[in-house]
This record gives sequence, structure tokens and C-alpha cells, in this order.
Amino acid sequence: MTITNVMSEVIGSVWKVDMKVGDAVKTGDTIMILESMKMEIPVEAPVDGTLAELKVKPEESVDEDQVLCTIES
Amino acid sequence: MHDRELNSEKITMDDEGNVASSINEELYFRRVSALEMGGKDAIARQHANGRLTVRERFSKLTDKESFREVGTLGGTGEYDENNKLVRVTPAPYVAGMARINGRPAAIGGEDFTVRGGTTFGAARRKGGQGGFIEDLAHFYKIPLVNLIDGAGGTVTSAKRRGYVAFPGVHGFERSVQLLGEVPVASAVLGTAAGGPAGRAILSHFSVMVRGTSQIFAAGPPVVKRSLGRVISKEELGGAAVAVDKAGTIHNAVDTEEEALGQICRFLSFMPQNVWELPPVISCDDPVDRCEVALRDIIPEKRTLPYSMHDLIDLVVDKGSVFEIQPTHGKSVITSLARLDGRPVGIIANNPKFYSGAMDSTSARKQIRFMELCDTFHIPLVFLVDVPGFMVGLKAEQEATLREGMRAVYVAGQLTVPTITLVIRKCYGMAGMATCNKNDIDLKLSWPTGEWGSLPVEGGVAAAFRRDIESAEDPKAREQELEAELRSYASPFRTAEAFAVEEIIDPSETRPILCEFIALAEGRLRANLGPKGKAGVSP
Repeated sequence: MTITNVMSEVIGSVWKVDMKVGDAVKTGDTIMILESMKMEIPVEAPVDGTLAELKVKPEESVDEDQVLCTIES
Repeated sequence: MHDRELNSEKITMDDEGNVASSINEELYFRRVSALEMGGKDAIARQHANGRLTVRERFSKLTDKESFREVGTLGGTGEYDENNKLVRVTPAPYVAGMARINGRPAAIGGEDFTVRGGTTFGAARRKGGQGGFIEDLAHFYKIPLVNLIDGAGGTVTSAKRRGYVAFPGVHGFERSVQLLGEVPVASAVLGTAAGGPAGRAILSHFSVMVRGTSQIFAAGPPVVKRSLGRVISKEELGGAAVAVDKAGTIHNAVDTEEEALGQICRFLSFMPQNVWELPPVISCDDPVDRCEVALRDIIPEKRTLPYSMHDLIDLVVDKGSVFEIQPTHGKSVITSLARLDGRPVGIIANNPKFYSGAMDSTSARKQIRFMELCDTFHIPLVFLVDVPGFMVGLKAEQEATLREGMRAVYVAGQLTVPTITLVIRKCYGMAGMATCNKNDIDLKLSWPTGEWGSLPVEGGVAAAFRRDIESAEDPKAREQELEAELRSYASPFRTAEAFAVEEIIDPSETRPILCEFIALAEGRLRANLGPKGKAGVSP
């Protein structure tokens, strides 16, 4: 079993979260959408697996390299 | 008896390795010693570490049987009491000339199997600071390839000499000069510190291998001694730091073969020197290929990003894109590519990262790429979708304004033809870094283009603060003002004033760009030679 950290590549805020803990994810699925520089930035799953933990909520600020969620595979 | 191949000559040896030839026996003995490098055990260790020997690297990099070695016999001879040669330890650096994609180049690299590739103190250096190989590239006006696998000098050289060398006596003067004369490409294929690390930076293109190569100003032992911090060499100078984060080295790949392949690819876009035009190749991709898919590539909703990489692929010659620094400063994409077989530099903002805003890293990346293309007479195509400079405390701390204005400064001094094509946003001073607008260079736009000093959304709140605050419904008033100003922002109004030269159908992008890039040849030919340097960069 491997845990993959999904990180934010940008500074911004969480606009909406499309998935919940326990959901199955496939590589490329949109887990959540961030807002940065007036753009919607989709956060995509880097691996197949199960969404293990969500570490942020909508409207929360996020930094570059901050862990947003983890995927168990 | 068995045969050994020496360059293209076959020589015969007995089972003890003695050369059977009676003529030039010593020459053959010395040449065999050179080919044996640091010996079987050292070569096995090099392979066990996932690395090729310097000679294996040369054979993979260069055209078959084209390597002509120079300085083969350089090394340290051991003589018996009768002054008869017993054995020779070759110099830890191999150099010569060869052909890459059919064109001559000077190549040199440390031999890590001999004394860990440390600097070799001979009457004249084979390569490195002020070495033969740099001189060869300079005087014959051919590209230089450095295959770096060494950590530079050792303190033992001071003991041998009896004094310590002053920094710069074997300096980088020639390496600095080469940057304005011929293409220089470097692969970091081991752990590089000191002079070899410096040479990797004094290159037009550099590449390293993830996991097996590292580069730093000083390695873990020095960090421990100086700062008391313990850190591994991979943590300190692996590709995650040197390529992705710092941009010290341009590209990272997974194998040495890929690294050598990237050097060949880079050189395929470059002229042999600044007195020549870059090579044009035949192209199977039709010049008049119109891509209807480009009409729908931009989402209607202005806040949604799209793939600028896909857009570039649809426009340039199929399979021609070679991206430089793909993992660093990702809000801008810098790629060499071809249009109807002619090399072009593509600078495209990437809406997936900070909306394509210019931050300090992407500004530096764009500056270097503009200077590269300007030096080697490669016309530039800007595909613009930039909302401005990156904003926020972190951006200010990183001197985004200064780095961004340096981009504007360098763009303003470009002498290669540039074509600016606005895809969506072109705002502010970051927008100014995407064109050379005082010249004849074209500013084109797709119908989705929008521009100005700053985007309407941010500008209205600042410029009409009192008006908005005193309104009965401030939010509604702000939206009303935004709608009014947006009507003036139509690109067609600017085209009416001939303040952009043309608004084009996105599907026609490739034919139009191909036509103007072909036209640029005469202008490029009239400006061959080294580019002057003027003024003080901000």
C-alpha cells in the first residue's frame, strides 16, 4: 500500500471539492478546484487509488507545495 | 591472440595483452592503456552505479566511427629503474572532435574511472577551464559538448605543485567567450562540483540524469563543515533541486542515453556558430495545414484554463517540439520547434500555472531563452496569454518586478524577428515582454484576444473606488462599470485603429506563421555575427 501526497502547485484558495474521502480515483480525475490569479485550477489525481484524506476545505488558503489530500493505492 | 579495436584500426595482442606489432609498439601500448581507462574494476564500479564510461558516452553521442581523439596519450607514465615504460595511467579527461547529426563538434568529458575524474595537471589542459577542447571550439567555430563527471581540483594538486593556484589563473575566459560564438551543451552525468559544475552553467543547454547525477556549488562534506548540517548529495543537488526548483540545470531525464539524445536534439536546432544561419530541414507537414480544432481550444468561460502545450503541437511541424526547462518556471513554456523545417523559438504563457502570470522564475527562464534565440538567429514566436506580473507577498520577496522588467529590457533589445500572437490575455508590463513593438515585428491576435494596462476586473475596483463605494448597490455598480469598460476591450476596436496588425482565424495560425518565418530569412541573414551587448541590465 502506498500513500501519495497530492500537492498544490500554486498559491491560492480552495474553490470547491468534487470528491469525498473513500471515493475511488483514477489518474487524471479532478479531485478539487483551486482558485489562483482569477483562474480555476483543477487538482488532478496523479495515481489511481482511493481518496484517503482531505486536508483542506473550500475557501481555505493554500500555499505552493502544500499537501491538499492523500491517495491510497 | 585477440583483436582490439583502436579508433578504426585493429591491433593484435597476445594473451598477456602485449601488442604483437613490432612497429610503433610503444604507441600502440600507450593507446591501449588509454582505452583501458581506470581498469576493469573501476569500469565495473562505474557500471554498477548506473553510469556509462566516458568512452561509451562518446560512442552513443557521436556519429559512428567519427570520433577523432586528441590527447590520447596524455597521462602519467611509470618507468622502471632503466627508464623503461612499465605502465601508463591515462589522464582523467577524454577529448576530441566528432560528428553529431553529420556536423562536426568538439567534445570532452571527465573519465570518472581514473582518479574520480579530478583535474589533471599537465603542461596544457585537455579540457575544462582554458583547455584544448574549448580552444578547438573557439578557433574552428564548432559547437562544444561537455560530458561532466567530476568534481574539479583536489587539494593534492597544491602538494604536487608546492603552492596553491590563484582563482582564475585557469579561469573561465574561453568558456565565457564561447557563449557568444558557438553552441555549448553540457550533460551532468555524475556528481559535479567546482569547475565542472561551473562549466555546466556556462552552457546554452544543460541536462542531468534523475537519481544518478547531482550538481552543487559545494557538496555535503563542505555543508557539514560550514553549517553543521548533514544532507545527502541527492537531497542537496539532485534534479529535484537543481532542475525543478532552482533551474540551475535546464532539463532532467531518466537515463544517460536520453541525456545524450537531448544534446543531439538541442544541437539539431542550432547553427554551427553565430556567423551561420540555423539549419533548415525538409518538412513533410503541409505548410497550409489549417487546424479547425484551434477555433474551440479556448474555453468560453474566461476563468478556465486550457492546454497551451496542445495548442503549440497543433501549430508547429509535427513532432518538432523540444521543450527547454519543462519542470521549472512553469507559468511560461519555452520550446525550440520548427515551422516548415525552419527553427523557431516558442515562448508561450501557460494558463494552467498562475494563469500564465510572470513570476521571478518564469521571467528568468524567458530571458535566457530570448537571449539564446537572439544569439543564434532563431526567430521568436510569442503565444501570449499573460494577465501580468505575479502578485502577492511571495512574488514581491522574490523580486518579480525586477526580474519581470529585466524580461521587458531583454525583449526590447531583441534583433531577431519576432511574431507576437495574442491567444487570450496580454496585460501590463508582462505583456510588454512579449513583443518588440517599436520594430516591424508583427502583433497578431486571435478573436479571443484582450489587452490593456491591467485586466478590467482588478482595474475597476481601484480606479472607481469612490464611485463604487458611494453607490446604493456597490456590487452592481462595479459590475456595470466592468461591463462598460469591457465593451472598449474588443480586439476589433484596436484593429480598427491599426494598433494590432491583424486579427486572424485561429485555424489559419500555422500557414500565417510559416509564411512570416520563411520571410524572416533575409532579415536574419543580414544580421549574422555576434550580438553586441549594451547598457546595464536592470
